[in-house]
Amino acid sequence: MDFQIALLLAQDGITNGAIYALLALALVLVFAVTRVIFIPQGEFVAYGALTLVMIQAGTVPATLWLLLGAGVLAAAVDARGALASGQKGRLAGVLAWNVGYPVVLAALLYLLPLATLALPLQVLLALLVVVPMGPLMYRLIYQPVAAAPVLILLIISVAVHVGMVGLGLLFFGAEGSRTPPFSEARFELGPMMVNGQTIWVIAASIVLIVALYQFFGRSIYGKALRATAMNRNGARLMGISPALAGRLTFLLAALIGALSGVLIAPITTIYYDTGFLIGLKGFVAAIVGGLASYPIAAAGAVLVGLLEAFSSFWASAYKEVIVFTLIIPVLLWRSFTSHHVEEEE
Amino acid sequence: MKPVLSVRSVLGLFLALLLVAPLVMPPFYVTLLNYIGLYALVALGLVLLTGVGGLTSFGQAAFVGLGAYTTAVLTTATDLPAWLAWAGGSPWLALGVGLVFTATVAFVLGSLTLRLSGHYLPLGTIAWGISLYFLFGTLETLGGHTGLTGIPPIAIFGFELTDGSQIFYLIWAFLLLAVFTTQNLLDSREGRAIRALKGGMVMAEAMGVDTARSRMVIFVIAALHACASGWLYAHLQRFVNPTPFGLHIGIEYLFMAVVGGAGQVWGALLGAGVITIAKQWLQDLLPRIFGQSGNFEVIFFGLMMIVILQRAREGLWPLFARLVPVKATKRTLDAAAAPLPRKPLPARGDVILEAKEVTRKFGGLVANNAMSLTVKAGEILALIGPNGAGKSTMFNQISGVDTPTSGEVLFLGRPVAGRGSRAIARMGMSRTFQHVKLLPTMSVLENVAIGAHMRGDKGVFPAAWRMDRAEEARLLNEAARQIERVGLAEHMFDAAGSLALGQQRILEIARALAADPCLLLLDEPAAGLRFKEKQALAELLRKLRGEGMGILLVEHDMDFVMGLVDRVVVMEFGQKIAEGLPEEVQQNPAVLEAYLGGVE
Amino acid sequence: MKLRTSMMAAIGLAFAATAAHADINVGVTVSATGPAASLGIPEKNTIALLPTTIAGEKVNYIVLDDASDTTSAVKNVRKLISEDKVDVILGSTITPNSLAMIDVVAESATPMISMAASARIVEPVDDKKRWVFKTPQNDAQMSTAIIEHMTNNGVKTVAFIGFSDAYGEGWYEQFAAVADVRKLKMVANERFARTDTSVTGQVLKIMSAKPDAVLIAGSGTPAALPQKAFKERGFAGKIYQTHGVANNDFLRVCGKDCEGTFLPAGPVLVAAQLPDTNPVKKSAVEYITKYETAHGKGSVSTFGAHGWDSGVLLAAAVPTALKKAKPGTKEFRAALRDALEGLKEVPAAHGIFTMSPNDHLGLDQRARVMVQIQGGAWKLVK
Repeated sequence: MDFQIALLLAQDGITNGAIYALLALALVLVFAVTRVIFIPQGEFVAYGALTLVMIQAGTVPATLWLLLGAGVLAAAVDARGALASGQKGRLAGVLAWNVGYPVVLAALLYLLPLATLALPLQVLLALLVVVPMGPLMYRLIYQPVAAAPVLILLIISVAVHVGMVGLGLLFFGAEGSRTPPFSEARFELGPMMVNGQTIWVIAASIVLIVALYQFFGRSIYGKALRATAMNRNGARLMGISPALAGRLTFLLAALIGALSGVLIAPITTIYYDTGFLIGLKGFVAAIVGGLASYPIAAAGAVLVGLLEAFSSFWASAYKEVIVFTLIIPVLLWRSFTSHHVEEEE
Repeated sequence: MKPVLSVRSVLGLFLALLLVAPLVMPPFYVTLLNYIGLYALVALGLVLLTGVGGLTSFGQAAFVGLGAYTTAVLTTATDLPAWLAWAGGSPWLALGVGLVFTATVAFVLGSLTLRLSGHYLPLGTIAWGISLYFLFGTLETLGGHTGLTGIPPIAIFGFELTDGSQIFYLIWAFLLLAVFTTQNLLDSREGRAIRALKGGMVMAEAMGVDTARSRMVIFVIAALHACASGWLYAHLQRFVNPTPFGLHIGIEYLFMAVVGGAGQVWGALLGAGVITIAKQWLQDLLPRIFGQSGNFEVIFFGLMMIVILQRAREGLWPLFARLVPVKATKRTLDAAAAPLPRKPLPARGDVILEAKEVTRKFGGLVANNAMSLTVKAGEILALIGPNGAGKSTMFNQISGVDTPTSGEVLFLGRPVAGRGSRAIARMGMSRTFQHVKLLPTMSVLENVAIGAHMRGDKGVFPAAWRMDRAEEARLLNEAARQIERVGLAEHMFDAAGSLALGQQRILEIARALAADPCLLLLDEPAAGLRFKEKQALAELLRKLRGEGMGILLVEHDMDFVMGLVDRVVVMEFGQKIAEGLPEEVQQNPAVLEAYLGGVE
Repeated sequence: MKLRTSMMAAIGLAFAATAAHADINVGVTVSATGPAASLGIPEKNTIALLPTTIAGEKVNYIVLDDASDTTSAVKNVRKLISEDKVDVILGSTITPNSLAMIDVVAESATPMISMAASARIVEPVDDKKRWVFKTPQNDAQMSTAIIEHMTNNGVKTVAFIGFSDAYGEGWYEQFAAVADVRKLKMVANERFARTDTSVTGQVLKIMSAKPDAVLIAGSGTPAALPQKAFKERGFAGKIYQTHGVANNDFLRVCGKDCEGTFLPAGPVLVAAQLPDTNPVKKSAVEYITKYETAHGKGSVSTFGAHGWDSGVLLAAAVPTALKKAKPGTKEFRAALRDALEGLKEVPAAHGIFTMSPNDHLGLDQRARVMVQIQGGAWKLVK
């Protein structure tokens, strides 16, 4: 290995690491606010990317039907809740958001000339389809069991992952797809060529991370989420609804996932089941950060990306073994830093 | 009225049906039953691990793979290295090697991951599940991703089990053996320790249970079940490759355990059966409804899991058990069992506990500041003070649940600070908790028997094979004796969770007494008791004092304290503000100030 | 007790609708889901196009999905044999599944036609494998075609990058063996996974070994990732793919980066370009027409054609077997096996099958052509 190869590998590792970092942030966020270990995070990557692919191919994305179905279901559940508590006034709102929105979106998708739209508009449409699935998922799947132990929530997450992969095969088929890059530009950076999309990925990751930082530091919703993450009961006493916090968190997680998918679709081929391994690598990073620290998780993500790049150079057949074995020393280190017998939740 | 069947007759019927099944059923049904048996064996390990012990593993399929690959390699390889050549060719030797190998791997993985709490373990299992899967596929000696063919059938006394209906008996014999040994294990001293892992770890440690060891025990047992299943699988299938040992199958095993009812031994069988049959059924049905190709089963299973976990978290077994009314077996106590030996108590008046300048800081907060106190044998000392004075923190420093920032705790003359509650419990200190810590679904008797854990020594194997019954009878007798002593005899066989809160506190005292302590730490024992019960409690404590036991007691109820105790230590803001005889302390202006808040 | 009755009821329900037994029953297990879904789906679609009567007898196809999993494949076969009383098994899609099925079909004396590539499935023909046939070309045949093309074009050193699964593994074994014989030097051997997002490491490793050519052994769209990475890094040597990529999704994903790539393939891929004298052309064109009528233009893949060929073999062998015994009997299965083994010069979409007691594949040089990707389409290399 010479210096140039090392540089190229580092670039590759950092690009992948940037995506893992985004996912790791989403995972830490979801866990902190809702205690859900969000295994299906990776599925949003695949859904986001492949929805964009379908839009670019000029077809109405199949994910729209999932959104419609989930919306109708959520409307039914909410409407029943509203009627039971005698709040008839809420019905209109419930219907408008859960059913009205997907219907309007469906109309848009049918009317617009999808294939010829400008790329940013296509991306926007893809996000409009995929991202609302996050809060709907929280409403239908996690909210009814919000108080359940972490392990139950984890098993539910695995079930959601399994279901979403099955649906993915149905929606997108078994073959993979790519999207055209955001920019065809290539830059010469010292001894190596860097292509434009790589810059996009890294820049977008940094922007997103900073934006999240601002969101949590400045905005009222961000502060509410932070409060919920620190103390659920306290947050409730302060009038912050855990249900709202949960939906907001899942909205962010879905947004981060789908956006990551859109970002990497031009540099790699995305399959219906791509998300799982990407998500798991985000997890390894999140675990490095103890599922609590954002900066350490982000650093862990870059570490995972680099480890992956270099191990694929040295021993490609053992790449996954190496990456997933990394978790063991990390866990070991964590086990030596915690002393006392703790009660499980 | 519904007919009520005895456990014995239901089991007998079940066994008889199993015996004739391969003779009367079409071959494919037997095939399905074979797979159900194999899956149930793995799921049973998960019931023990996840349902009972609260440890979740997505990686069991990898252990199945270890069992399958060990036997596949040993029975097909022609050029085994010399040191391993003795194990070649025979499936039975390969089973032995596989079990030892799996236990070793599980022990190593367990030592790495089991110390972690909560969600790290399942995430860790996902990681090594993936790693082992890729290793199976990458190592050339294991046939790579393509797999190993030509695995011979198992032979019993020279009779080869080539046919599905022949190996059927072996599979189900393994499964039933596993079910019965697991049931035996859970109903024993070790079993109570295991059952305490889910939600009672702090309590179990305070009763002298080595919870880390118990976790390791069930982790290894679950791995061994999986290994045995893999061994059978390899000889049923006669072919192995990595796909049946991947993470998605590991997830399916966990689903089986959860669907069946993760806390129920028979739930494993139910879960494996339901999922295997539903899969077959869906395979026929779904394409007819939806026509095109898609992974409908998987979507269906995902949804089913979500609904079950939302609506019936205990799985299907409780619903199923309601259909078959089985008479509950009544536990009987063997009154003839010899009482357990007792430790000699220190001489009355000897100092047994001495805390010197104990300070505990949590960040900037000083919860205990240079606290000192002593307890003598045959004396009751009360630690009182307003809410938030740091009494319970002091208790935790003494009992080893927490470690003081500085200062010294001497118990029976030996320094114990930082030694952990298990070691301290072993020396003869026993405690109750301010927030009651008991296992609500277990009976009062079993809860109290956890207290006697340290007084027995029969381990996992004697328990699984029922060679522990003599000791078990003595332990239960001791528990029963303490229950009678504290006046809960009529609730002996009730679920602990069904008792009133005051009674649960009394139960905790019985549990502490079952440990045969010389020093008893009671955290607000009288809270929630009615007047009569308080009187009875005071009487009991006096009697214990009379026997020479030292008692340290935190209490709010001044009437209860003042009439009972020998000396009082008063705390405020983490510090001792007064110490002395009850009547002296009552007159102390600082105490009055603390309690009445400086009435001007 | 209750468990048993409810279970029986469930099983009963599961098998309430089994096929009638007077006709010829063909059991099919393909990997329509799971990692091999992109191969299994076209095969599954193809089964629906196979003839529903052969020599006047009705043929029922019972198609099951094995989710690319060996356990399910074996379970499916047991079910097909004992419940549906099938006369022949078609499948499975991938090598491990097919290998795992051999014991079961041999035990019940049922002929099986695999659609998986590895020569290990049918070689050597022994007591068990005498029941097993297969339609896809051996990797060795395809490897020889590639290596011939390489040596003819001045390639001295070659690197290999393949799937980290049975496909990549099988190819490496065969390719390395043939390369060794032909004095072609292997300078690198790398693996990647189907869903990998980056192969930069492997590509750099290979490029630092400076091979004249590189062979990418993957199936379907995932094989495009290394190729794109090689192009991006400015690899100047020749790039070869395997016949696993021969579907239009691959062209769609790989785009201009795949221009000029060589690969060996069954003639069906370039059927329209074959001379009319080629006996393969008729069957291949028939298949393509039928498939594209049902599933749209450009939807056809060579994998589905392996399924088609298994149907062609059946159609050729069944009439002979019918003369000896009635379908649904042990005798018929044995006769069908003998008939399959006795097939001579049967033209199908991928080649011309001539079976023998030592050769249960029966394809020869006519079963492969070299193809180059030109202008986003497959072009026959003459």
